[in-house]
Amino acid sequence: MKIRAYLSLFRIQTIADLQYRLAALAGATTSIFWALIEITIFTVFYTYSDRTDAGLQAGLSLRQVVSYVWLGQLLYLMLPIAVDSEIQAKIESGDVSLELVRPINLYTHWFTKIAARRITPLCWRGLTVIIAGLCMPQAYRFGPPASLEGFLWTLMAIFSALFLATAFGCLLCAIRLSIDWGNGPIYMLVLIGQVFSGSYLPLQLWPQTWQRWLFLQPFAGYLDIPCRLYVGSMPEQAAAVILLQWFWIAVFVILGKLLMAKQLARIIVQGG
Amino acid sequence: MQSFRLYGKYLKIHFLSGLQYKGWFLMTIQVLFVVITDPIGILFLFSRFGQIGVWSVEKVILIYALAVTSFGLAESFVRGLDIFPWQMIRTGNFDRLLLRPCPLLLQAAGSSFHIHRLSRSFGGLVAAIWCLRLQEVEPTLLNALVITLALCGGFLTYTGVFILTSGLAFFTIRSLDWIYIFTNASYQVAKCPFDYVPRLLRNVFTFFMPMLVVSYYPAAAVCGWGQPYWKGLLALPAGLTFALFAVSIWRIGVRHYQSTGS
Repeated sequence: MKIRAYLSLFRIQTIADLQYRLAALAGATTSIFWALIEITIFTVFYTYSDRTDAGLQAGLSLRQVVSYVWLGQLLYLMLPIAVDSEIQAKIESGDVSLELVRPINLYTHWFTKIAARRITPLCWRGLTVIIAGLCMPQAYRFGPPASLEGFLWTLMAIFSALFLATAFGCLLCAIRLSIDWGNGPIYMLVLIGQVFSGSYLPLQLWPQTWQRWLFLQPFAGYLDIPCRLYVGSMPEQAAAVILLQWFWIAVFVILGKLLMAKQLARIIVQGG
Repeated sequence: MQSFRLYGKYLKIHFLSGLQYKGWFLMTIQVLFVVITDPIGILFLFSRFGQIGVWSVEKVILIYALAVTSFGLAESFVRGLDIFPWQMIRTGNFDRLLLRPCPLLLQAAGSSFHIHRLSRSFGGLVAAIWCLRLQEVEPTLLNALVITLALCGGFLTYTGVFILTSGLAFFTIRSLDWIYIFTNASYQVAKCPFDYVPRLLRNVFTFFMPMLVVSYYPAAAVCGWGQPYWKGLLALPAGLTFALFAVSIWRIGVRHYQSTGS
């Protein structure tokens, strides 16, 4: 029966967030602008630099990078950029005690809410970004997937990435529960996640010697792995990388649950 | 004079309240980490692809660092304006500011301050000086003056953007995300070698929001990339003009204010 409670929590949050359509469209302008600048910079490097074939040697052509950038902008919206604002407000105002009274598991409750929050930006804002990408002139256009099979793997990887982002978001909430530490540790972790997700630069273009490590670390599963599957720069290991994503999801969930249990044992409720 | 004292008091209170958290120093490190990681993409691209014609990594990073330093200064000292639309207008808290016999902009600007944001400027400045040394720029008085004025102009420019955001928020109440184009996204443009920046972008960031005037032209004048000194010195007047334009929008906004919230 509890599963129904979680599902309805998820539905309420999704519907509430989807109402802000105009805000989402306005936000999309930033994503589109960002994508266009990135593509311009990549084009300059791929066309005018001293070693124009360096990108191809790393396994990414300019066309692939352009698609990577657009899909990356979409997936970037899914990454947690802070503790979920609603949950943070509850921790700060002491309303977290109300959450504890509910006869449902706090971790699962927050997990559903955060999951809803991670999906909704993909809908209006994300859709706008993708449509804009498809409508761009040739040199800037969001290209088709490398293959049908690759596309199906991409969808699965995006689905897993959603769980990964949510599990990470829950871990952040568990850390934030200790109220006297503030947001410092959170911002640190969020930033590490963003940098190593590949949103700054496709991980394949990072230094060659780091590649193995970059591939195995958890945050590649956020963005780099789905994008690589889409542009077809990693076709053979598809099933293995999705397993890798789920390995990290398990790690984040276990860490989050353990930490939350520990924090709740000596929680400080402030406010009144 | 009294206003300055008031502003100083605001900063002090926010600073001290920030120190209450055990993890406050991590915030400072985090912003420093942002400064280091933000250009990491462009650094890796240069190391993989080599130079772009005459454009070496230190030239691009110099322009970028000047823009980032200016942005960091504005973000530190008028941070209140940045969160003003969300914190003051939507909640109706702006009413309280109107009741006090002090300058409105000053109250709004001082409504938040985080010392850790200054580490962005610190990082930017270190990077800029490092790039200037790599290019063996003479530390003459004129060069120092051009760079200092560029940072002043840049501070005014980004302050202008924040004032503009707040001014427009009187009309829109919500959804001002596109303003990021002129804040965090604007200095991404500086990562692109100047000669290859698309004409439209170059015009917008020169003649409307003078980001390139406070970064590229001073850098070009000091390093001798074929731009005259007078163009480098335009940074301060350009920044001032943009800030005054933003203030006029803000004034119109204040007159239009009808209070929201409960």
